[in-house]
Amino acid sequence: MTATVGATGQGARARAETPMARFAAEFARSRTAMLGLLLMVLVVGSALLAPLIAPQDPYDLAQLDILDGMLAPLAEGGSGATHWLGTDDQGRDMLSGILYGLRTSLLVGVSSTVFGLALGLLVGLSAAYFGGWVDTVIMRIVDIQLSFPAILVALILLALLGKGIDKVIIALTTVQWAYYARTVRGTALVERRKEYIEAATCLALSHGRIVRRHLLPNCLPPLIVVATVQVAHAIALEATLSFLGVGVPVTQPSLGMLIASGYQYMLSGEYWISVFPGIALLVTIVAINLVGDRMRDVLNPRLSR
Amino acid sequence: MYTKHFRTTLGGLLAAFAAAASPAAGAELRIGTSAEPSALDPHYHNLAPNTAVRMHVFEALVGQDAKQRLKPELAESWRAVDDTTWEFKLRKGVKFSDGTPFDAQDFVYTVCRIPQVQNSPSSFTIYTKGIDAIETPDPHTLIIKTAAPYPLLPVELSTFGIMSAEAAKGENVKFEKAGCKADSWPATAQFNDLSLAIGTGPYKFKQFTKGERIVLETNPVYWGRKPQFDAVTFRPITSDGPRVAALLAGDVDMIENPPIQDIERLKNDPKVAVSQALSNRVIYVALGVQEKPPTIEGTDGKNPLRDKRVREALSLAIDRDAIVKRIMLGVAEPASQLLPAGFFGHDPALKLTSDQKKAKELLAAAGYPNGFKLTLGTPNDRYINDEKVAQAVAQMFTRIGVQTQVDASTANVFFSRRNKEEYSAFLAGWGAATGEMSSPLKSLVAGRDKDKGFGTTNYTSYANPAVDQPLAQALATVDDKKREALLQQSVRAVIEDYGILPLHYEVTSWATRKGLTYEARADQYTLAFDVTSK
Repeated sequence: MTATVGATGQGARARAETPMARFAAEFARSRTAMLGLLLMVLVVGSALLAPLIAPQDPYDLAQLDILDGMLAPLAEGGSGATHWLGTDDQGRDMLSGILYGLRTSLLVGVSSTVFGLALGLLVGLSAAYFGGWVDTVIMRIVDIQLSFPAILVALILLALLGKGIDKVIIALTTVQWAYYARTVRGTALVERRKEYIEAATCLALSHGRIVRRHLLPNCLPPLIVVATVQVAHAIALEATLSFLGVGVPVTQPSLGMLIASGYQYMLSGEYWISVFPGIALLVTIVAINLVGDRMRDVLNPRLSR
Repeated sequence: MYTKHFRTTLGGLLAAFAAAASPAAGAELRIGTSAEPSALDPHYHNLAPNTAVRMHVFEALVGQDAKQRLKPELAESWRAVDDTTWEFKLRKGVKFSDGTPFDAQDFVYTVCRIPQVQNSPSSFTIYTKGIDAIETPDPHTLIIKTAAPYPLLPVELSTFGIMSAEAAKGENVKFEKAGCKADSWPATAQFNDLSLAIGTGPYKFKQFTKGERIVLETNPVYWGRKPQFDAVTFRPITSDGPRVAALLAGDVDMIENPPIQDIERLKNDPKVAVSQALSNRVIYVALGVQEKPPTIEGTDGKNPLRDKRVREALSLAIDRDAIVKRIMLGVAEPASQLLPAGFFGHDPALKLTSDQKKAKELLAAAGYPNGFKLTLGTPNDRYINDEKVAQAVAQMFTRIGVQTQVDASTANVFFSRRNKEEYSAFLAGWGAATGEMSSPLKSLVAGRDKDKGFGTTNYTSYANPAVDQPLAQALATVDDKKREALLQQSVRAVIEDYGILPLHYEVTSWATRKGLTYEARADQYTLAFDVTSK
């Protein structure tokens, strides 16, 4: 794979030894992208370490007390603990809620993207490699899928499947695979006509080997970019679904659900229930997008100077 | 002309601002409602928003005042001749909005038509089933016979509106217990397109655009006191925030059900007046006592809720005061039974307390020292803060060791799943349309019995002869004092058996712009003809 990335990135500077190092150097030249990366590391890190750093387990109902409900930021709860970001109406510590909520959001975003990517790759590569009626059938299905708004498809699916993190991941995978399928097919069609595929075919290599070892690696760079942006998209979509009350269970809130449970208090002054999870969501999505944008710039030979 | 010019040049935004600046202009009342009726047909759907709109146009024989006490409406007076015979004297000189006179035949036709409504999601037949025969000795006297003593007849006759027999070409239709005969019956669509929407009420329909507005204008031939406003527009604004915003912006003059977290602020707003009343609606947690519990884990398939000690433990786990104070923000009253004080059948001796220590002891004594796992179903858009209340209850159950998950879904989904008994425990509410205790007892906790109409909303398989027997007796007792004692006996039996866990009674609120007054109603209906302006 490393060699093939080098093949597409020939226009980029050739001073560095490995393509990966060259990519890293190129990436680091943008300060905003580095800021994005830093934020992303921070967000992912705190999500991973949530059980260790959160003052409370917000998913354990026995630790919540409604008598501690709606405390303002920095207030002290009945147990003597300080709630740095306040509490929501159920007495859930907002800081803990946000850390755990981030976990859910990232889990849903990343895993649905990985599954969607895998499915999209398989379908898109088959369409491009085999062509003909296989291509026509697959791409018409993709067209139909893409003509429905993602949120609508997800809402219908969740109405049928019910609530739960696993179900949200299924729904988001379903709405995302088509993007990848289309991107992969486009790239693969171009690559398929190149000489190295012709050479491989002349060597009488099997379909599977050509697709796996030759076609696939060369289609990856644009996909990585799409996937990064799609993670952010999936997180936003999950937040929307949970905000609408069809996503995760109420006793295990994600960021979207925390925002939803707080937004009705916005007018009455308890701003913190919605605002802090909102900021967390914003930072997460902006960070991922900054990194994704920079990766696109670096990996796209047409954009490099 | 000025206005027109204004609108075309500066656009709708400024026009709306101009309208808001002079709210008293004209005698039009604009009301933002939290739900929309499913049809204008008065007999299609026994649902609160439908009934609220119906009451403006179609009057009933008997009315209910703000505290749900009966008052004369189309009937001037009534009396029980004997245990199974009632005489109603009808009001004379009443006309339908199309000018035709109202008489006994209109009532007969209405009772005949109610079972004929097609695809009714919730029929009014439960209120007409008890009628055995109707005699009309003269156009303004009704003699109604019932098969058994039926003390609730006057109350139940207040639940449905009377339509014009003449307009529906039903002047010759005769009442028959087995089903009246007519060439055809009016369709619900004929009410929605207003062709048959003819009643005797203070208003008549002018326009109905589903999802957008219902416009009423005064009925010029109305028999009673003319309402203060010549025109009324109901605008369904189902989201809480926008509904409050519409009031504050002056887009509407009055809203129903302002969200409780905004009530403090609205009360402090000098441009707004708030009126509140304790409602007839109790919010409760129902516990399923089926042999095989659908949503309980960790008990080897047994249902712990069949043990009274477990039910008592769960009741003791609930801190009702904390829920009212924290989740309902004080806009509710902790419940001890199925209707608040002041309603017929309320037993003042009943009390429900909270005691975590005792709850844990009871659980241990019942053989569940480590509790079990329970899923609590709840709607998330039906009652005030329903989902949040369910979460608080789950928190309290979990604290005594019963690990509780909340399964919240939108009302349609929730009710259809509940009706299939898919929840071992669920949170719901019940408003007593009749304003007395037999309504919740009969529907929620009485053992299921189709013939008696018992347990129509009992989705827990609960059945207790100590509840059913005095209830059945009460429903056959015409004497008010005796009936109340029997109802109290029945409600005491179910509460002391923890057959149902009442949480709180909802308080209903209305917010109007300053200068308007509305007497808050226990039945939660928003009635434009009762709105007065200073």
